[in-house]
Amino acid sequence: MLQNLSDWLEQTQLHTIFADTTHLATWLIIPISQTIHILGVGIVMIAVGMLNLQLLGIRVARQSFAELSARWTPWIWGALAILFLTGAVQTIAEPTRELMNNTFRIKMVMLAIVVLITFLYRVQTKKDPGYWERSNERQSLARSLASLSLILWLGIVAAGRLIAYVGAIEDF
Amino acid sequence: MWDLLTWIDGTSLAETIRISLWIFPALEIGHVAAIAVVLGSIARVDLRLAGLASRDRSITEFSHEMLPWTWVAFAVATVFGILLFVGQPVRYVEIAFFDAKIILILLAGLNMLVFEHLTRRGVGRWDRAPIPPVQARIAGGLSLAFWISVVVCGRFIGFV
Repeated sequence: MLQNLSDWLEQTQLHTIFADTTHLATWLIIPISQTIHILGVGIVMIAVGMLNLQLLGIRVARQSFAELSARWTPWIWGALAILFLTGAVQTIAEPTRELMNNTFRIKMVMLAIVVLITFLYRVQTKKDPGYWERSNERQSLARSLASLSLILWLGIVAAGRLIAYVGAIEDF
Repeated sequence: MWDLLTWIDGTSLAETIRISLWIFPALEIGHVAAIAVVLGSIARVDLRLAGLASRDRSITEFSHEMLPWTWVAFAVATVFGILLFVGQPVRYVEIAFFDAKIILILLAGLNMLVFEHLTRRGVGRWDRAPIPPVQARIAGGLSLAFWISVVVCGRFIGFV
């Protein structure tokens, strides 16, 4: 399925433009897209750092988790939208390098899990501001989710960098 | 200067970084992850100073929340950055984007010093102002511009 998507993307007009390295204007598309991508990663990382450390019991702000959640979660969604768009530009430019690459696929699976965790934090906090502090079980669940989330976010950044090193599957 | 660079180039540490297949990517991961946190934390403070976001927050309190992240991440990014540099010091100083990146980091630092020692003096009067005075907005805008340029240069080092 991903092979088909990759083959199809390579036939598109956008691919021809994004992959054209013979003109300065089109050659610049990828490094500029990557730079905006890194900015997006920065916005996400500080937001998930604040939320998850607070859940781990490290007081990174004077506000409650509910307040932090209300303030920081919209920044995560906004940055993820930018990350998706710039990531799409890079994928359209080099479909095989991304889609046919196990590091990219692992990155997407990790991303799906952290998006789910972030969504869960927000939904439960909206319903009940004290949700993650209600009982010892809840607190330890929150701490487990926060640890997993932090590890996965760092894994996502690592995988993002490693895509440049791990060749596409068809190269093997 | 040149002698120092060639000396670094000849050390066994430089040799190890060059030869190993995994050390360089591992250092890059640490460097990029740390720079992302520097950028994210400082951008939020800059946007507040520029009056573009978090307008309901006290500037002092918000800075106190963000700056520990910035400093720790900056230290980590610098350590990993130096190790990346040690692998091929002569090559890096010959790349214009590398030199520009170092100059931009110094300019960002200078901008921060000016803000901390001059502009911030009267912060009591505008700590909670949704839109801070023009000097503070300029400091925020400059900081954002410098740090974004640092990342642009960093990314282009890998393209030339």
